[in-house]
Amino acid sequence: MSGAEKDAEAEAAAEVGTAAETAAERVLEVEGLGVTFGTDTGDVPAVCDIALHVQPGETLALVGESGSGKSTVALAALGLLPGNARVSGRITVGGTQVVGTGEAELARLRGRTASMVFQEPATALDPLTRVGAQIAEVIRNHRPLSRAEAAREAVELLRRVGIPEPERRASAFPFQLSGGQRQRVVIAMAIANSPDLLIADEPTTALDVTVQAEILDLLRGLAADYGTGVLLVTHNMGVVADFADRVAVMLRGEIVETGPVEQVLLRPSHEYTQRLLAAVPRLALSGEDAPEREGASVVELRDVSVRFGRGPSAVQALDGVTLDVRPGETVGLVGESGSGKSTAARVALGLIPPDAGTVSLFGTDLGRTRGRRRRALLSGVGVVFQDPVASLDARMSVAECVAEPLRMHRRGMSSADRRARVAEVLELVRLPKELAARGPRELSGGQRQRVSLARSLVLEPRLLVADEPTSALDVSVQRTVLEVIAELQRELGFACLFVSHDLAVVQEFAQRVVVMRAGRVEEQGPTMSTLLRPRSDYTRRLIAAVPVPDPVVQRRRRAQERTEATA
Amino acid sequence: MSAVLQSTTPTAEPVANYRLSLRRFTRNKLAVAGLVVVVVFLLFCFVGPLLYSTDQTHTDLHQVNLGPSGAHWLGTDAVGHDEVGRLMFGGQVSLLVGLAAGVLATVIGTLWGATAGYVGGWADAVMMRVVDAGIAIPALFILLVVSAITTPDTLGLILVLGLVSWLVPSRLVRAETLTLKSRDYVLTLRATGGTHGRAIARHILPNSVSTIVVAATFQVADAILLVAYVSYLGLGVQPPKTDWGGMLSAGLTAAYSGRWWLIVPPGLAIILVVCAFNAIGDGLRDAFDVRGRG
Amino acid sequence: METLLYLLRRALQALVVILIVTVVVFCLLHALPGGPARGILGPQATAQQIAAFNHEQGLDRSLPVQYVYYLRTLLHGDLGTSYTLNEGVSQLIGQRLPKTLVLTVLSALVGLLLAIPLGMWQAVRRNKPADYVITTLSFVAYSTPVYFLGLILVLVFTQTLHWFPSQAPQGDTLAQVFADPVALVLPVVTGAASMVAVFSRYMRAATLENLSEDYVRTARAGGSRQGAILFRHVFRNSLTPVIAMLGYYVPVLFGGALVVEQLFNYPGMGLLFWSAAQSSDYPVLLGCVLVISVATVVGTLLADVVQRVVDPRVKAGRT
Repeated sequence: MSGAEKDAEAEAAAEVGTAAETAAERVLEVEGLGVTFGTDTGDVPAVCDIALHVQPGETLALVGESGSGKSTVALAALGLLPGNARVSGRITVGGTQVVGTGEAELARLRGRTASMVFQEPATALDPLTRVGAQIAEVIRNHRPLSRAEAAREAVELLRRVGIPEPERRASAFPFQLSGGQRQRVVIAMAIANSPDLLIADEPTTALDVTVQAEILDLLRGLAADYGTGVLLVTHNMGVVADFADRVAVMLRGEIVETGPVEQVLLRPSHEYTQRLLAAVPRLALSGEDAPEREGASVVELRDVSVRFGRGPSAVQALDGVTLDVRPGETVGLVGESGSGKSTAARVALGLIPPDAGTVSLFGTDLGRTRGRRRRALLSGVGVVFQDPVASLDARMSVAECVAEPLRMHRRGMSSADRRARVAEVLELVRLPKELAARGPRELSGGQRQRVSLARSLVLEPRLLVADEPTSALDVSVQRTVLEVIAELQRELGFACLFVSHDLAVVQEFAQRVVVMRAGRVEEQGPTMSTLLRPRSDYTRRLIAAVPVPDPVVQRRRRAQERTEATA
Repeated sequence: MSAVLQSTTPTAEPVANYRLSLRRFTRNKLAVAGLVVVVVFLLFCFVGPLLYSTDQTHTDLHQVNLGPSGAHWLGTDAVGHDEVGRLMFGGQVSLLVGLAAGVLATVIGTLWGATAGYVGGWADAVMMRVVDAGIAIPALFILLVVSAITTPDTLGLILVLGLVSWLVPSRLVRAETLTLKSRDYVLTLRATGGTHGRAIARHILPNSVSTIVVAATFQVADAILLVAYVSYLGLGVQPPKTDWGGMLSAGLTAAYSGRWWLIVPPGLAIILVVCAFNAIGDGLRDAFDVRGRG
Repeated sequence: METLLYLLRRALQALVVILIVTVVVFCLLHALPGGPARGILGPQATAQQIAAFNHEQGLDRSLPVQYVYYLRTLLHGDLGTSYTLNEGVSQLIGQRLPKTLVLTVLSALVGLLLAIPLGMWQAVRRNKPADYVITTLSFVAYSTPVYFLGLILVLVFTQTLHWFPSQAPQGDTLAQVFADPVALVLPVVTGAASMVAVFSRYMRAATLENLSEDYVRTARAGGSRQGAILFRHVFRNSLTPVIAMLGYYVPVLFGGALVVEQLFNYPGMGLLFWSAAQSSDYPVLLGCVLVISVATVVGTLLADVVQRVVDPRVKAGRT
């Protein structure tokens, strides 16, 4: 029997199984769901004809790229869509019909039968209410407990979600907790009344990878303990592999493929799923180091320290950082949030003057160069930042954005030559020249990042500094942008300082890697040997925390991690 | 090819953006009503006298304190001027001084705020303390002190009003500049050897335009209101010239003896026009989606 | 510790602002016809007296030196002597300021108590008829010159309905002022009107912003009712930025008091200022400006401190 036949049989068996179950056993049942948003510019359909269900104790992952409508489905399930949404179809949560039900009745459902964990722990909690009180509020919404009883239970819940010193932390305000702790508080609120269904909308997207691993562990453990059904909304295939039993793949408002996690991730049947999985950067488990580059450093930071602020609230952003980039190579600067990687890139660009240490750019001390000479020096640098929206001035056309460095540094250039050069670089980054006259707002995120790239390359720089250039992009778009950068680097030979939080991306594109942590360089060296045989414990933990998008491998890694932790 | 595209297709984005803003603005009924009111009053004050001519320079002691009638729709004042004509005549001063002072205040505020925000550091701290000090001295008190010292002419009045009311726009523009100068496209420009001048002229000022326009609209509303206080404080334009505030303060005592037509029309005119500018500012702020005062 | 440092820094800033105000007042003093000498000796002083005084007081020295002299007299609490009332300006202001404070504080309280619920209600009923009506009313209230509003109120409530007297309480002491609360109604309402207009707009905007915050969605997802969310969470979060605006509104309140006191013949600082302007009593004028400005700076400082108490994030120096 071939693999495909086996799958078909499994699917048929699953069909029979679901048919045998009564709908009441499912904690979530969605049928023919359609959502349309009324906006300034007319009606925008978000999702259409969605059908899915979640059984007690199982986790269904709803995956898709931005704009696929996966979050809309999650919010619709609890009737939490904004007022301009029009919903059709049927959603049943624990036997209660959601669509068309009044707020009062939905309020009885929310937080008791079904509850939700959101993406942004930074904003999900009321900043002015103590976290214990926020948890107690959810308890008292549904159970007739006294204030004191609810407060005691809130402390228990905090303990249950792994917050140290829960008695003390219950009286903390959200801003006094870290992002991971805040997400634990949100989870505590969600499980406060032991719901049958937990909807988690990108619960770890805003978190660092080590924190992500902890939160996923917590959610998995809670779901198993309470027998809760989970609807997990995510774009991260690693998270899916780590957590889900079944997967539904969404594309432009529709579900294109559903099935058990092994089947969808390892033997995807739909062409889109295949493309999506092919684009996901994966940590390689073996590989050779690239040969070391020769030549004088293009940029070099030596013992650089930076402090932000003054007095007791000052933050040591960089502490004795030394790194360099040699001609033609890509150096990956990795670390979690707050590690100082972006600050280091900004110091290299001369945007932040170091408090101690030196920065030399193309062999010249940047700190001692002023005026015209400094500007001439900096004209050899190209920059791509993370945010595709903030990177381009929305008032300028694409052509004007790309031409700006020419206007700055090639004053004598005729406008015809300038146009020709702009057309040339737009072609280099594979943008159709029709886009030249458009405004950035009409472009997609990936197109905008390529415009930024075109702008950074228009003067043929010797160094490209890319600060998380693809972090805001979907994986498929990320891959094309990264490939364009790599290809142009081979062609044009510029050096690249590549800042990223994504180890898989860095492993694929950088020849050397610098791991940063809390403003210091934790370790650095050739990419493969550093990431495959890390010397520092921190790097090892960082790599172990990255979930790989293969459920079988991920399960093995998790088991291995657990035995190592107990040993 | 790209040259052709560039010359024939205007940058589509700002147009689309302005079209969206325009649609948002026109959907705001109060703002549209405000715009209509302003246009009507401008026509009334500046075109009206051509159609409804009255003598506003000479007194006519045979025609004093008449009630509304067919000949004088809103009656006459204590020296015999026709009230409708006076409303047009006074409105010219109120609107002109208000608009000029509002724009002047916005210009000063923009320059001050943009400089403080862009330069930052110590200069910013000192410049903002000056603004704090200016805000701490209530404008009405300053105007009353000035009125005790001198009586300015129209131009002087515009200058005085402009000089006491640039503080709020300067704070708004500073805040906007602070945001814009840390935008990635400005950082990119600075990191690749662009000059400060270019950052300001090409990015920061053009992107502040909507904030400045909104601030200016509110500023004009405030200035027209301030003009109305000026005569009350004894700083106003001298007879036979007048403005709505002057008419209002001149009619204050008359109101107690029941001659409502001397105060209600100029009072309503002030309220309507100031409301209108506030409503327009409110509509523009929502349409441009910029932050400004509530 | 951090709070102490913050307070210290904030007080230092306030001090700088007050210094700048003294510079402005000093410049006005020198812009006066006859200069500060006439300001102190009075309009009857002869040219010789002025010259002698100038020499004696060092007023023939350079301006910076004079400024230091001026500061020194200020530090002794000496604001000069009134031309017309033959009394020290400090004493005059000392008698009048409490009454003005009563008026402004009452106006502010009444204004806020009306504005905050109105603004919240508007936000909840956004773009419904009630919202439009209140918005229009607050535009009208904001756009009406205070003296015109006061006049209309007097015409309606005193001349026609005879509900309230047209004069504010006339007593010299605060006890006498409070003994006649009915007479305070019209002045306080007149002073509060534009405050209601402005702060209901602020509150509406702040509430709308908070209603779209993530934490509201979290609370809804936890089964909290709309009313509970509004009063337990949104209200407090919206109030903090509104309190911060309060500091900047202090000068407007004093400006309002200037007009209200004149209109209702309330013997506070505004009326003192007003009569000083009529008689060109410069020492009183500038003394009042200085005191009002200091009061404003202190008011702003207080608003900041209150905000710090209400909002734990500000206390930790984060926002």
